[in-house]
Amino acid sequence: MPMMPWRTSLARAGVGLPLAVIALVVAAIVLPQASDYALRVLSAAGIYALLALGYSFIFGQAGALSLAQGTFMGVGAYVSGILAVRWGLPFDAALPASVGLPVALALLVAIPVLRLQTHYFALATLLIGQIVLLVVTQWESVTGGANGIGGVPPLALLGHAIEGRLPALLLVWALVVAGGALAWQITRGRLGDAFAVLRTHPVMAGAVGIDPGLLRFTAFLLSAGYAGLAGSLYVHAIGVLSPDILGFPVMVTCLTIAVIGSRLRIAGAIAGAVLIIELPEWARFLRDDYLLAFGCILLLVVVALPGGLTEAAERLLGRFWTAPPVAPVVPVRIQPRALPARGDALLRVAGLGVRFGGVRALDDVTMELRAGEILGLIGPNGSGKTTLLNIITGIYRPDGGQVWLGGRAIVGRKPHAIARLGIARTFQTAALVPEMSALDNVAVARDAACVGLRQALAVGLRDGPRARARAEAMALLDRMGAGQQAAVPAGALPPGVARLVEIARALACVPLVLLLDEPAAGLNETEQAELARRLRRVADDGVGLLVIEHNMPFLAPLADRMACLDHGQLIAAGTPAQVQADPAVIEAYLGTPVAMPT
Amino acid sequence: MAASQLLLEVLALGAAYALVALGFVLILNATGAVNFSQGDMVMAGGFGAVLLGNALHVPGLVLLPLLLAGMAALGVVVAAVAYMPLRRRPPEAVFISTIAVGIILQNAANHLFGAEPIAAPPLLGAGRVRFAGIDASVQSLAIIGVAVLLVVFLQVLFAHTQFGRRLRATAQDREVAMAIGIPVDRMVTVTFAIGAALAGAAGLLLANAFFVTPTSGADYMVKAYIAIVIGGWGSIPGAVAGALLIAAFEVLYPSLPLLIPPLLRMAQSDTVFSQTTSTIVLDVAVLVILVARPRGLFGDAVRQRP
Repeated sequence: MPMMPWRTSLARAGVGLPLAVIALVVAAIVLPQASDYALRVLSAAGIYALLALGYSFIFGQAGALSLAQGTFMGVGAYVSGILAVRWGLPFDAALPASVGLPVALALLVAIPVLRLQTHYFALATLLIGQIVLLVVTQWESVTGGANGIGGVPPLALLGHAIEGRLPALLLVWALVVAGGALAWQITRGRLGDAFAVLRTHPVMAGAVGIDPGLLRFTAFLLSAGYAGLAGSLYVHAIGVLSPDILGFPVMVTCLTIAVIGSRLRIAGAIAGAVLIIELPEWARFLRDDYLLAFGCILLLVVVALPGGLTEAAERLLGRFWTAPPVAPVVPVRIQPRALPARGDALLRVAGLGVRFGGVRALDDVTMELRAGEILGLIGPNGSGKTTLLNIITGIYRPDGGQVWLGGRAIVGRKPHAIARLGIARTFQTAALVPEMSALDNVAVARDAACVGLRQALAVGLRDGPRARARAEAMALLDRMGAGQQAAVPAGALPPGVARLVEIARALACVPLVLLLDEPAAGLNETEQAELARRLRRVADDGVGLLVIEHNMPFLAPLADRMACLDHGQLIAAGTPAQVQADPAVIEAYLGTPVAMPT
Repeated sequence: MAASQLLLEVLALGAAYALVALGFVLILNATGAVNFSQGDMVMAGGFGAVLLGNALHVPGLVLLPLLLAGMAALGVVVAAVAYMPLRRRPPEAVFISTIAVGIILQNAANHLFGAEPIAAPPLLGAGRVRFAGIDASVQSLAIIGVAVLLVVFLQVLFAHTQFGRRLRATAQDREVAMAIGIPVDRMVTVTFAIGAALAGAAGLLLANAFFVTPTSGADYMVKAYIAIVIGGWGSIPGAVAGALLIAAFEVLYPSLPLLIPPLLRMAQSDTVFSQTTSTIVLDVAVLVILVARPRGLFGDAVRQRP
């Protein structure tokens, strides 16, 4: 069911607040006369909330299914527990190690994480969990083996043991609040937007200069750090160390919390943890079969409530609240790159070839694109046009040949590095983040090299870098004629406007070269004429445009030169009139040799 | 002869693993999604065999058709509950829903049978036969026989029947299959049934020598997963080859000191060549493979377009 997404985005801010107020009120009433046992369960809920907050980085933000979150928690618990029992190190003094070691372990296994696809990543994390569990149960002299270690002292802070259940609970929940605030700071701005692009369209993320590997890496280490802290709290709270914490049930609990609470919501991770950990207490008959219940809940939520409870609550709230009008963004022009003189060769490909299985997708293709020029690339379906784009932008690696941008050979570089050098592109099917506004879809590509953890932590309440990126994005949207729709979520844009937004996003990379894959598809004739006019203006600034298109009435008047691919080979190049009249081109399209009238 | 005996053991274990891996890869190809409950299906098959054995008191081979039918039914249920509602969502949703199914199966088994290991009846009997100088257990031979029979049956089904061609078409390209009028959803459901039946058969074959516990599925899941990664994501012969490779490693690694006597004198040789260490070594090896070759040893069987 298509929702009114602006309502959702309003409610997004609204759900955390009421939840926090309710939680505080309930806590004020319940806590003073709660039993020791109830306090203990509530502490456990806080610990799982930290675990799930961490998990929301890799599973939520980066969208990668890690099955090692429980393992990282276990490693944190073992490090903290062993240091406390064998070396007498208190909770707080051991923290650097109990958070640091899980992070170091994540670092070790992050190498494959940087590039693995979901199913390989899930397996890799599963194996890490199995290895750690086996090593811990085998290494009896240090870990106590299958029996574990007892007598772990309670939590301590600055030399004071925290004896009572209530103070321990308050410490845990203070850390939950701090962890939640940190997660909010990290994800609320441009880094959060970059994560959204990464998880909806990883290939596209690279194409606008976002480094997908670095983002996943950041998310994975953050989740390991949170898990280490959770594990350390856990072992001091329950006082014994046992290999149970490394088992799959902990992971399943964490996954259930993340899914039920909504994986992208900070309030969701916390509320989900309270709900799931308290559930066996509320429904006593579940106590022996709580995992059975978690399994059923997990299945039910995944099937029936994909966004989780928090998002469902937001949708509900969104029905009753109307969005405040979005403050208009004042456009700011981007400083253009120093472009080469018109007519200089910008992009050169030479001898490019690639083979997929038995198919020669590209065969010895050589061409160049000059500054300020529009080169039309035509050819029947399957002739290798998009493959050429994918090689130039570093998505595929050619079997032979080279690509030069200016004087620089770029084959072998990663897509995001190529994008940052000044090659931007659009995709055949528009790839925007549906829940983000048109404006933010463009803004995310501004200076993508400057989006990272360090920058996210440095940002103040008024997010300066984001405001500037938005202002510059506004100028680009205006330039493409889509400024009116800046505040509309991309998922609600008509296809024609989505195309324009995509081109604006490509321009946000401040490209030297712009590669467009069927930009006129889905546009009516008026829109096509308008688009042609705007593309010409981009070229007039000195940018080189390579335009793939089947639509001759659109392309022929627009292109300065044209080239035609067929079965991976360049069969014609020249002025549009020459290429269109070329017998080989006509044969490629129509399938039979045609006698040309003279 | 120790070597031929080990080989027989490898083949028997590998045959059982191959059935699990085959079920896994068939479902993977038909849905594009990982069925994380495949290992727990093996466990369910093991308990099913125990249950049927207790009720009927006949050899395992007689139970097999009943078990296959029962497991196929379970597969249909899993498809209906954990796949059909999610078929238009990213494959990762199915991954999670099948994790849930696995947890449900595990804990239901725990509730019904308890956590103690139980043995399923042998396929024919517990005896041993001698031929050509090899002293072989009847069970090992029967396992190999049953697995070969099932694989041949599948081969005939896939290669020589209209139904099999439809299944393959569905696995190759859902959209096109749908466009030419193949009832894709029904095909996927049947694939789940076949996958579950294969896992169930493996459960019967394995639960005699190795017993079955509610949590024993996790191991088989990891092994099937590894087999697919080693053999090439989505490749059916690769899955079988991967399964055999894993079995060979698992049988041969702990026997290394027997094969190479100087290893016996190594310090702590019984720890270094224990079953546990063998699992650790295998896991680390697979991680190294993933680091060195992110698309598995032989690459994806299908090249994806971005």
